Amino acid sequence: MLLAVFASASLALPAASSPADSSKTGAAALTVWSGSEKPAFSLDTLHGERRDLAALAGKVVLVHFFATWCEPCIREMGSLQRLSEISQDQPLAIVAVDVAEVDLRVRAFFEKRPVDFAVLLDRDRAVSKAWDVTSLPTTFVLDATLAPKLFVEGDLDSHPEILTALQSLYPTAAGRNRTHSAEPGRNQSQQPGYP
Amino acid sequence: MQRRDFLKGTAVLSLAAAFPSAARAEVVFAPKPGAWRTVELVTKLELDKPEGKMQAWIPLPSVKEDEWMRPGETQWTGNAAKVERVRDPKYGAEMLHVTWKDGESAPVIQVTSRVAMRDRDIDLSKPGKAKSLSDAERKLNLEGTELIPVDGIVKQTSDKIVAAANAKSDIEKARAIYDWVVENTVRVASTRGCGIGDVASMLKSGNLGGKCADLNALYVGLTRAAGVPARDVYGIRVIPSQFGYKSLGAGSANVTKAQHCRAEVFLEGFGWVPVDPADVRKVMLEEPPANLGINDPKVVAARKALFGAWEGNWVAYNTAHDVALPGSSHPKLGFLMYPQAERASLLLDCLDPDKFRYALTATEVKSS
Repeated sequence: MLLAVFASASLALPAASSPADSSKTGAAALTVWSGSEKPAFSLDTLHGERRDLAALAGKVVLVHFFATWCEPCIREMGSLQRLSEISQDQPLAIVAVDVAEVDLRVRAFFEKRPVDFAVLLDRDRAVSKAWDVTSLPTTFVLDATLAPKLFVEGDLDSHPEILTALQSLYPTAAGRNRTHSAEPGRNQSQQPGYP
Repeated sequence: MQRRDFLKGTAVLSLAAAFPSAARAEVVFAPKPGAWRTVELVTKLELDKPEGKMQAWIPLPSVKEDEWMRPGETQWTGNAAKVERVRDPKYGAEMLHVTWKDGESAPVIQVTSRVAMRDRDIDLSKPGKAKSLSDAERKLNLEGTELIPVDGIVKQTSDKIVAAANAKSDIEKARAIYDWVVENTVRVASTRGCGIGDVASMLKSGNLGGKCADLNALYVGLTRAAGVPARDVYGIRVIPSQFGYKSLGAGSANVTKAQHCRAEVFLEGFGWVPVDPADVRKVMLEEPPANLGINDPKVVAARKALFGAWEGNWVAYNTAHDVALPGSSHPKLGFLMYPQAERASLLLDCLDPDKFRYALTATEVKSS
């Protein structure tokens, strides 16, 4: 579980320091992303409010594609919630993107398993297709410029090195200031729906 | 019961008690085309918490095959403002599109369809004179769908299966893939409904668990990727199995959750051949005493039969994928096997019939 990740936060992610290397870091597929940029998206939340990925620039963003029918995804959602709670003081945003399900089914799912991060609806698979997501769950970790840096197909839980990888991507204070200056008047922490 | 039949039955029973292995030899699952059976299938839909614009789409039995499925008359009653029988333009799947006036306080519709059906059993020992597919039919049943791609990991997996089995002909490929699906997948009781059928996701994740819409979609995808036409057939179990397989028939007249997807593969000279690897896994999981091994006689018998035969205790709705609901802005459905409805422009969860609400009942109509 991801909670266990935090106990082993000293684990290093050697490949994270060489982003051009797309080789996999072990038998499972935590991959340093060397592919193309991913297109920005704008999707509805569970209750129909529109949200833009671009609004999260300045934070490390974990974009997690999932579906409620996918058993590993269900387990993973609890882990993501714990990651969210533990990372409250970190410049990290978690965005869960449900792929092609009925709104009411997803709402019912999260009524039983509330989370404090954004859950968005990719109703027609347009975003998952544009991001070349062919398997669920799939997770991308974007740096503060929203460039993809890491990629995981399957359980994030099985990658204890993810925490170290996230930490290595957190922007420095100076970097954050630079990002914010490009978006005057924006306070990321106050973006509705993006805790 | 005839006295002779009764005596036969007692003889088997006595033998079974004395020699359990002899009892195993008596397991029979052998569908054979015989008498037609007719059922009346009733779908009753009452929208819970009516609000705003409300409409529904109810799948109708629309597979017509002279040898095994004859849909009859469909009638409906209710308080809808408009009821229209519509047909999916690509696959011919029929549905009843129902619209209520805004603010209708108790929207309801009841749809009754009569369907005649019987067992299928294709003699695969020698090709017959079945008509070939047209070019358009062949293309339709070889192409990928939204959830069943026939390239990438599906093609790679299919190639490996075919190569490992040294399968050359279409029938060898079809059977090798059938055996692979039977041996490598698993039925998961907790899967909602019949599953989703996201074949690439299953193969990439290595999680080959699910239900019929997953396992038989996997069969269809792998078979199409091998260049052999195949299709899912979405339907519903309506009466018990006459072979005593509890897992392969309707448990009661209430068939609200008895939807079941089967598959067919097209083999030149034989025509459309019934296959159902998902039901082999269902027998393994559910047939008493449950969790049967793959060599259990009940499993062996079902596995042998379900490549080339199936029982006529099930009504086929359609063979459609990527179905657009007319009048709805909701994205296409992967398949149409459950009633669908919108309330205030939001599609309801068809896998939650108690909240939706809908109920299906099936009654066999005895010939007079």
